[in-house]
Amino acid sequence: MNINGSARMVIVLAIVAILSGLVLALTFQWTKPRMDQVAEERLKSAILEVLSKATKYEEIGNDGTLFNGLDEDNNKVGIAFVAQGGGFQGTITMMIGMDVQSRQLTGMAVLSHLETPGLGARIEEDWFKGQFNAKSIDDPFIARQDVDAITGATISSNAVSNILKNTIPNVLEKYESGGGK
Amino acid sequence: MRTWKEFIKGLWEENAVFRQLMGMCPTLAVTNAAINGLAMGLATFFVLVCSSIIVSLIKKLIPDKVRIPCYIIIIATFVTIADLFLAAFFPDIQKVLGLFIPLIVVNCVILGRAEAFASKNTVGLAAMDALGMGLGFTWALTLLGIIREVLGMGTVFSIQVMGASFTPWIIFILPPGAFLTLGVLLGIINTFSKKKNTQASCH
Repeated sequence: MNINGSARMVIVLAIVAILSGLVLALTFQWTKPRMDQVAEERLKSAILEVLSKATKYEEIGNDGTLFNGLDEDNNKVGIAFVAQGGGFQGTITMMIGMDVQSRQLTGMAVLSHLETPGLGARIEEDWFKGQFNAKSIDDPFIARQDVDAITGATISSNAVSNILKNTIPNVLEKYESGGGK
Repeated sequence: MRTWKEFIKGLWEENAVFRQLMGMCPTLAVTNAAINGLAMGLATFFVLVCSSIIVSLIKKLIPDKVRIPCYIIIIATFVTIADLFLAAFFPDIQKVLGLFIPLIVVNCVILGRAEAFASKNTVGLAAMDALGMGLGFTWALTLLGIIREVLGMGTVFSIQVMGASFTPWIIFILPPGAFLTLGVLLGIINTFSKKKNTQASCH
């Protein structure tokens, strides 16, 4: 069989691409359940971290950003929500716990960020996160006033404060109007 | 023995990082901690070995004019496999390396070995060459990671090695630290190495 140059090129490239697609599809099928599990575990541990009284959670709405924390007897112990906004180098995504009755935060966990290692990345450290525990949501949320800032990472500290300040009213509105009842 | 020679050359004599100055992008970008350097090195090692073997196996079937696209597809396939595997089984490492895993596709060490070696040699030799080059790349990245982590954080693989009085030099885990460390290491290696053959380098 004598296939001319161009046709052979097209056929070889097509075969290589098809085989590659097949191999990738199989790999994806194999790793997908495990990746879903990892994502779910991350979400769960973040929610339970920010709502220390909760032992399980249920989603409010269906966009994966607002959750009801429940204790063993299915009593609501607070809400957890995803707060997201610009940091120093990229988007900071956090899980925030809030007690709606007492209008207090119950905790904060960083889900992902691209802050500078050793400086802005310290928003993940316990002493920084801990200050949002039992913080009233009516506070002004200004770094270096009511929020302790990280030395050398003022922008990251400001960013966290601003994200919280901007997200909380939206979440409350969504909670009260939405599936919060 | 030829096979052995092809393996051993990548470890030192033709080390991708210290001798050929290839693959500088991951070398500089992800070595801010020992574990990141090691993980990046191993991911690259995996892609390099697999793609070299495949390229060497099908070298006769690929028309000359489309060999580069074919190599890139093969490399990209293994990179994606590595990325999915890390995401599923080592999610924390995948989170840190993030964007740099897909960028292994354009690591010139891999295309360089496919083009310069695997496409001209038997499967056995190509595999040995890739193993050597991959291991050489891995130890180089791990060494950079260790040095930068010790100076920048006072730890190695997250284990504290410096005393409490040690003040970490944050600059070593920031981008400039990569250039400083690599520059000093290259200087030391060139001083102690008798052969000063300057190989062609890409980025």
